Amino acid sequence: MNNKTILEFIWIGGVVIILAWAAIANASYIYSHQDNIANPVANDPSGTVINVTGYQWGWQFTYQNGTTTTDKLILFSNTTYTLIVTSKDVIHDLYIPKFGIQVYAVAGHPNQISFKPTSPGQYIMECVEYCGEYHYEMRGVVVVLP
Amino acid sequence: MSFSFQLAIFGSTLAVLFVMGFLLYFFAQDYRKKLLTGTQVSQSKTENNLMLSRMRREISLSAFILDDSKSIGIRYLITSLIFFFIGGLAGVGMRISLWFPNPTFLTPVQYNILLTEHGTLMLYGWASGSILGLGYYLLPSMLKIRRDSLGVVNSIMFWFFLLGGLLIIFSKSSATWYFYYPLTDQLTETGGGMFSFATLIGILFILTSLTISSVIFLKMIFLDRDENMGLSRLPLFAWSIVSTAILIISSAPISMIADGMVIYDLINPVFFTGSNGTALGYAIMFWFWGHPIVYVAVLPAFGLIYELLPKYVGKPVYSYSSGVIGLLLLLVFSATVWGHHLFNSGLGTVWDILFSTTSFIVVIPSAITVFNWIATLWSGRIRLTVPMMFIINAIVDFIIGGVTGVMQSDVGINELIHGTYWVTAHFHFILLGMTTGMAFAAIYVLYPTLSGGKMYNINMARAHFILTAAGTYVMTIPWALGGFLGMPRRVAGYFGIFQSYQDAAAIGGIILGLGQLIFLINFTYSMYSPTIHSNENILEEASL
Repeated sequence: MNNKTILEFIWIGGVVIILAWAAIANASYIYSHQDNIANPVANDPSGTVINVTGYQWGWQFTYQNGTTTTDKLILFSNTTYTLIVTSKDVIHDLYIPKFGIQVYAVAGHPNQISFKPTSPGQYIMECVEYCGEYHYEMRGVVVVLP
Repeated sequence: MSFSFQLAIFGSTLAVLFVMGFLLYFFAQDYRKKLLTGTQVSQSKTENNLMLSRMRREISLSAFILDDSKSIGIRYLITSLIFFFIGGLAGVGMRISLWFPNPTFLTPVQYNILLTEHGTLMLYGWASGSILGLGYYLLPSMLKIRRDSLGVVNSIMFWFFLLGGLLIIFSKSSATWYFYYPLTDQLTETGGGMFSFATLIGILFILTSLTISSVIFLKMIFLDRDENMGLSRLPLFAWSIVSTAILIISSAPISMIADGMVIYDLINPVFFTGSNGTALGYAIMFWFWGHPIVYVAVLPAFGLIYELLPKYVGKPVYSYSSGVIGLLLLLVFSATVWGHHLFNSGLGTVWDILFSTTSFIVVIPSAITVFNWIATLWSGRIRLTVPMMFIINAIVDFIIGGVTGVMQSDVGINELIHGTYWVTAHFHFILLGMTTGMAFAAIYVLYPTLSGGKMYNINMARAHFILTAAGTYVMTIPWALGGFLGMPRRVAGYFGIFQSYQDAAAIGGIILGLGQLIFLINFTYSMYSPTIHSNENILEEASL
């Protein structure tokens, strides 16, 4: 082996080590946070369940007591919530940047995702899967009450 | 029912266009025979019937009639450049329209049409077309091919490509280049566009042309090359075309099947509707091709860098064998990562772990390639010509684009940035810096040959480079920053808090557009300058 080959093995080895670390960290994150990533609906969702329906062009939230809101999600801080997200028509994607959660809304394929808001305030919420003319207006606010 | 009426009108227009195209083609054949009777070039596919020395290498109208490899390469280059300018105009229009949070310059429908045309034209028209053009133009000289390369088939495939591009432009679809299922089949202005199925037919034409051209590329490389050129002496550009061609042949048909199913579902919805969320079925089939196409767009650019770097550094490529290994590993690994586009769609934990791990693995061959370039740059003295500036910028942009890209394979981070402008920034770094930059570098290198001995204006070329590079950064860095804060992509309007990012990106987009105008002026104006150069260039001979 000449110097050239040794140098190549060094840089390939370095890259492999960094990526192996990243891949293992990622896989362990997925295992420990299965509730916090989008998954098909399971039987026992944790916390308070809110049903979400995406349609062209808006979001409808149905709470456990039967009340509904449109384009406005009202939550209490320090409570665990599970959103069950589905769609009436085309594929949508509910995204709340503050909580780092994102879940596709697909007709006939309800997904669930859990999260726990901690700080009260008003945050943005939007659809990030292109869904037609007024895709950009398919957005709203998340209000976290203390 | 209005839908079937439109379908009838559109179908018959399509049929007429098709028949007219073929009639035109066969008339052109007659004319071509007349052109060729003077010389002793026969039409049979026997050996030596299209000697390299007989091929016309300049841009001329007869390139659209003759069907040797060089003429077909020129056709593709010119057509894809035209598609690039149409798509670029759409892009600049979108940027200007996004100056204010509420749409002013364009209505949402117009914005969505431009969005779709920008995406489809740039990927299928410009990236794919320029690859085909450079492949047809460079491979015969690099491999010293002395045989006919199925010229008539190539020619028909070019007209398919052109027809596909025209269908994309004129059918005004607004379903974006994904054509996700339930939206594409909403044939209204507010949904997928009145004629979005015609765009799908256009894409089918282009994919057919890509697939068959890939088969021909493989034939050229493995069967037709000079018998004294062993596999271990194949130019790296040819290796990159091998990877690209196999990637296209193995994944494009899946997307073609999915497109056909979507068109069928218009009339009789069976494939992607149902009670079990089969709308995601189209997305899965689409991304099986949708991710390989971005590697299809960059791999030939890798090959061009490998060919051009030694010429401007004065030393051979640092390691030929690791270059080949990198390109072939990219072919294998890049075909396994497509599922990372659907992390948040609820396909399960196993899906997420599998595709995020493969997405990390695919970085290894990319890193091997990048280190190989850096070592080559290190080992020699750099001559900073205009193509070399594009090469260095391509490497820098590819590193930034790669780092911003691999971050998305982490599922936790992906939840935060999927569907935001971060993604747009990532792939514009790669597609602008690498694909477009290297296509321009190749065009500048080939310019004396393409123009028959003319030379481009170097100062204007430098200005083109500076505006392109600066415009890329000014446009994409605000996108990346805004995207990390949650600025959604593909929107005609946005929350007011993101206005500063969008305005900065709009300025970058305008800079970028001005740079391309300088290129256009330089390219056409220099054609009429006096002949000062021999029509040799350094790219057409093999590097080894």
